[in-house]
Amino acid sequence: MQLTSTLELYPDYSVTQLLFKDVKNAAELRKNAMEGLVQGALINPSMIVDPFQILVASNKAIHLQKTGKMKTRSLFSEIIYNLSPTNNISEAFKRFGISDDDGAVYVVLVYPKEEAADISSIVSRVKGQQIPADMISTLTDAAKIKKLYKVSPQEETNGSLLDAVICRMAIKDVS
Amino acid sequence: MALDSNRAKMPYLNKCSLIKQGAEARVYRGIFLGKPTIIKERFPKLYRHAVLDEKLTHRRTVQEVRSILRCRKAGISTPVVYFVDYTSHCIFLEDLVGSITVRDHIASSQESGQDPVCLSSLAEEMGKILAKMHDEDVVHGDLTTSNMLLRQGSEDAKPDLVLIDFGLSFTSALPEDKGVDLYVLEKAFLSTHPNTEQLFQRLLKSYTHASKKAPAVIKKLDEVRLRGRKRSMVG
Ligand SMILES: Nc1ncnc2c1ncn2[C@@H]1O[C@H](COP(=O)(O)O)[C@@H](O)[C@H]1O
Repeated sequence: MQLTSTLELYPDYSVTQLLFKDVKNAAELRKNAMEGLVQGALINPSMIVDPFQILVASNKAIHLQKTGKMKTRSLFSEIIYNLSPTNNISEAFKRFGISDDDGAVYVVLVYPKEEAADISSIVSRVKGQQIPADMISTLTDAAKIKKLYKVSPQEETNGSLLDAVICRMAIKDVS
Repeated sequence: MALDSNRAKMPYLNKCSLIKQGAEARVYRGIFLGKPTIIKERFPKLYRHAVLDEKLTHRRTVQEVRSILRCRKAGISTPVVYFVDYTSHCIFLEDLVGSITVRDHIASSQESGQDPVCLSSLAEEMGKILAKMHDEDVVHGDLTTSNMLLRQGSEDAKPDLVLIDFGLSFTSALPEDKGVDLYVLEKAFLSTHPNTEQLFQRLLKSYTHASKKAPAVIKKLDEVRLRGRKRSMVG
């Protein structure tokens, strides 16, 4: 169900993506994350087009951590920040983090490869139904994403929405 | 030694295959986040002062990815940028698997004596895209038929023309800069592909049709051609 990937640039790390729908306790989960009980990024799935978007954000977060250039205080908040097209940190959390009344949650775990991720503890904390991470497109709000990333129809003639999102994420520090 | 110091920042490149060694950059093929990827690495130039070199290399890297995004926003096909590492000056780009360069396409069409109508519609497409790019004030800086790829989309759709290698690109509204851009292409085009004067005229004609700003650019192109000729007569 969950999707675990390794990162070619950082082979010591693994990234695991878990997706839940019909979530009843988003507020509690958010509190758990702030207290450090959940070691992961809790993301609003409607802003995600594809698991690749999460990998791009995670790779960049580790890169910025290793080079001492993170803009936020933790790897997990950096992943959320990297998803946003702008450099406004509080806006990034508002749009890409989960809100207390959200009914779906995308959980991203980044951990040293030799340590097994504590997937069962995450699954047991979430009061909701886990679905395959690659079913994310069923929860994507394409219209909202187009508006936030300012994707014009002409840009979509030569590439997908995912392409448009990835390019902005990759370039936002200098654009 | 300097090359090694860059390699220490990006050991991943040891696992990629080198496909081009240029004066400014090396181009590799590899897999990144599970996808076929082209990695462009700008390496330190030993003859330049280290601090200055770092600054210039950074600026070029930034300019390259900015031009790509600007083109994409305008509906011009370019490879997707996946990741940029400003410490090792590496750009990670979508690998257009199965694409061929316009250069190879023209060469093989000419060889096989294929219908010249196909090539002229390609020339028209090139003119249209370059007009769109110049209307966005992006000057490519190194236009050649090797820096344009044809990507075959769905079965019967006509292939998509994709611009690559914005390594020397910059932003400018000056007709002179755009005229030189076309001049560079003209020189490369006519020297790479024999007997294509008419084909190139097609390209320019379509460029002129597609852009309101074309007359000023073509005027500059004429001037630059003249200068080029004078220089070669003197030289
Ligand atoms: N994104 C790409 N996809 C496929 N092939 C590429 C791509 N970028 C570069 N190449 C190939 O690599 C060569 C050198 O790249 P460049 O230095 O960017 O011109 C090109 O002439 C192409 O054949």
